[in-house]
Amino acid sequence: MKPFRLPLIPLVLRVALGAVFIYAAVPKIADPVAFAGSVAAYRILPYFWSYLTAAVLPFLELICGVLLICGFRVKSGALIIGMLNLVFMAALASAMIRGLDIDCGCFRMEGAKTAPWVALLRDTVFLAMTAAVLRYERLRAG
Amino acid sequence: MLSKNWLKIVLEIAAIVFTSAVFGIFWNRTLLADAWRGAPAGQTAPAAQQAEALPMPIALVQVKELHDSGQAVLVDARSGASFAKEHISGARSFPLEEATRQQTPQLQGVAKDAVIIAYCNGFSCHDSMELGKLLIKAGYASVYVFEGGLPEWRDAGYPTTGGAP
Repeated sequence: MKPFRLPLIPLVLRVALGAVFIYAAVPKIADPVAFAGSVAAYRILPYFWSYLTAAVLPFLELICGVLLICGFRVKSGALIIGMLNLVFMAALASAMIRGLDIDCGCFRMEGAKTAPWVALLRDTVFLAMTAAVLRYERLRAG
Repeated sequence: MLSKNWLKIVLEIAAIVFTSAVFGIFWNRTLLADAWRGAPAGQTAPAAQQAEALPMPIALVQVKELHDSGQAVLVDARSGASFAKEHISGARSFPLEEATRQQTPQLQGVAKDAVIIAYCNGFSCHDSMELGKLLIKAGYASVYVFEGGLPEWRDAGYPTTGGAP
């Protein structure tokens, strides 16, 4: 007899992860200049590349978020989100090591700063959620 | 060698990234063209024009000219610690926090009709804009905000001073 597996939790994780990334993408698409500033504040990319990243990254987040919510090409969407999370975590860790006093630039572009270590913690949770989504997809496929 | 399934996923990922790039570049084409030329960010200009009390944005090229000719006073709106680490050569420190504490912020030895350029840590950094507003309120007539701030200055290879590696 097949073990009873409740698909609700993977579904909730997938939709929640998708929603988070859509929520993160919308203000960045609305104000790319502010997001370019957030990217520039990390002091990793040269001037123009900060703009290019600010132009493309939010759309990548948006498309992956929509894919996860729709349940279409979930594995690819989740893999991109996982890779993005790893890149964000590396950037945050680098900002922490260099002692940069910056906002993470993760969600809102204005208001109170989010410290890099808080953002790093949050990204760890998102990465765990991504791993769970990918694992479920693998189980489902296999 | 990649299995068929993994190849499919890699292709899908490439397609998603490509689509995002196309959308993102098309959506922000004007902004990217401006950034490529090093012009000030056009989308913040309307906000700066909404009220006379807002400092006007100024581009890197003009900042460099005014800096080199000594016609402007560059004011760093970041914290003293950040200023000590690295700042635009010749700039003076006036952290927003300190300016906010003062009833009427005063830049010692700077005439009210002098050209003042406030900057901080890039485009989303609001400290320079806030400092600019305070300086205008305090009676300084020509206050500008260098939107690209220290990151744009540094990336252009212009001189900075401080202990940053």
